[in-house]
Amino acid sequence: MDPMIIAENLTKKFNGFTAVDHISFKVEKGEIFGFLGPNGAGKSTTIRMLCTLTKPTEGTAIVGGYDIIKQPEQVRKVIGLVAEKLILYPQLTAVENLKFFGKLYGLRGKQLEERIKELLDMVLLTRFKDFPVGGYSSGMRQRLNIVRGLIHDPEIIFLDEPTAMLDPQSVQFIRDLIKNLKKNGKTIVLTTHIMEEAELLSDKVGIIDHGKIIALDSPENLKRKYNCASLHEVFLELTGRTLRDSASNNMRIGVIRGF
Amino acid sequence: MSFSNNFKASLDIALKDLLYFWRMKMLFITFLMLPVILMFLFGFMFPTVGTSNVYSGKIASPYYNIPVGIVIEDGGEIAYNVANQFKQLASSTRLLKVKDFSSFEVAKEKIVAGELKGVIVIPNGFTEALKSNRQAVIHVTMDDTSSQLSSVVFSQISMLFKMISSSISVSMIKNIDASIDPSFIAEPIVVERKNLIAGTTSTFEFLAPGFMALNIVMGTLSGLAAAIAREKEQGTMDGILVAPISSYAIITGKVLAQTIRGMIQAFIVLGISIAFFGVRIYGSFFLMLLIMFLGVSSFIGIGIIATTLAPEQETAMTLIMLFQIPSMFICNILFPIEQLPKWLQIIGKMMPLYYAADGLRKIIVLNASFNQIIWDITVLLLYSIITLSVAIPLFRKALTR
Repeated sequence: MDPMIIAENLTKKFNGFTAVDHISFKVEKGEIFGFLGPNGAGKSTTIRMLCTLTKPTEGTAIVGGYDIIKQPEQVRKVIGLVAEKLILYPQLTAVENLKFFGKLYGLRGKQLEERIKELLDMVLLTRFKDFPVGGYSSGMRQRLNIVRGLIHDPEIIFLDEPTAMLDPQSVQFIRDLIKNLKKNGKTIVLTTHIMEEAELLSDKVGIIDHGKIIALDSPENLKRKYNCASLHEVFLELTGRTLRDSASNNMRIGVIRGF
Repeated sequence: MSFSNNFKASLDIALKDLLYFWRMKMLFITFLMLPVILMFLFGFMFPTVGTSNVYSGKIASPYYNIPVGIVIEDGGEIAYNVANQFKQLASSTRLLKVKDFSSFEVAKEKIVAGELKGVIVIPNGFTEALKSNRQAVIHVTMDDTSSQLSSVVFSQISMLFKMISSSISVSMIKNIDASIDPSFIAEPIVVERKNLIAGTTSTFEFLAPGFMALNIVMGTLSGLAAAIAREKEQGTMDGILVAPISSYAIITGKVLAQTIRGMIQAFIVLGISIAFFGVRIYGSFFLMLLIMFLGVSSFIGIGIIATTLAPEQETAMTLIMLFQIPSMFICNILFPIEQLPKWLQIIGKMMPLYYAADGLRKIIVLNASFNQIIWDITVLLLYSIITLSVAIPLFRKALTR
């Protein structure tokens, strides 16, 4: 079977600074791909390119069988994005948020209503469906944010740090949710800074640093190869134990994006 | 994605933006208050009656009950009569509040103290001059610290005395020869104003269409900038951009929501003008809507360009303000463009807002037909096409760089 994601020499430069440097990798159907790397290594930029939100400077990728440069609209239909920032309107209720995004994917009427009901049940938010999202706790918001990305039942799901800054209960809930998605045959790209999480969930991990992929294998193989007890150790072994001067990278990107 | 899906998506984006706006209660109330406050503010700043007619007590002046003094130095009977007539006329027009003073010196003190704006002196020899068939003179001294007020008050004083003077000449002519029309001798030429539209014109017929254009265009512009920049900043724009819809659908939706907002404001302005300031719509409602729509679309491109280039919301808003504030003054909105120096007039006439206000004014006040405002329509249409064809490709490019 063809892989669901094929990245070929994917490169992104911002004003001469190379954020992502000729990376290539494949993600098979039904796989959870753990995409790891220190802050500013190029994870988010890669995900943005795969989601057609940022144009690559060089190279391309085939996502769900479609070229991200030549067929962006086709790509958008088959992917779901759960970005680092919440994609929710705080003034609108859970139902209103899901309805709005569902409609953008062409879902309407009864079909949309049933899908919303199903998703809200899935993340146990049915009780709060008519409250403005601004009043939700961070755990509730993130649960809703995740199903928002699933509204059109995409084959490929990008999860950018889905468990960051949540309580252990929410983290556990979301991890179970991800496992369930895999069970249903979805292909998942997951970024996280929690190596235990990546080890627990991923079939394959890619470690990116300074815009380059420096390791690409299953967690088991990596542990064996570098003779480490955990993926956490492997990660530190590969990316070094000193704190990163990643601020310079972030600042450069920050200037361009204007944050 | 098909056209109909994109069209529906843009409607959904518009509805979502309006719902969002409705939920921001304080913003929503402020938004409704703004045109109300502006209109009432200008309602009190400018006179509501535009045509001077002393006989009906209507005076085209923003000033009322300005204190002036009168000194009658001449002891004659005619001097007292003239002074009394003047006081009557002055009180009936409510323009001046006339107070008697015993001498010019005393009255002059009051001008310096700021209690009087002018002094009228009927000097010695006034009665005698008239009795011996010579012209009599009245002296007027104004408070020169406020030249604008002085000139208005002075011209009103002269006008009142001219009326008294001509009534004197009418009675004299009657005494000489009762067979001829005395008013013909006294005033052979009379000026009568005939308006294009029946009834009196008011400042509001100038202001209301201008404000309407200003509200829709500027409201839409800053609303759009805020709406796009906000979504960019909070990250929800990614959720929209990652959906399988075209950039056109996104922009159309955003613009539609803001246009509806602007139109609501414009109709509040129109409603207040009609209800409180005697404005009437003489022209076609459909043409009015057309101009409003074109006015908005001519500005949208500029708004999008500013917003996509600005890194965050505040910069976007400031950029828009930079454009918005001068437009208010040089686009024939608050006062006639003819008051400006030539070069500023040229800049003003390069702005689409000028044509939106011009078109609306002609429709509302002069009942202009489509052909009579074709130039306004053409300019607005050209502006829309040019700016939008730059803005739309820039939009996704800027957001997906």
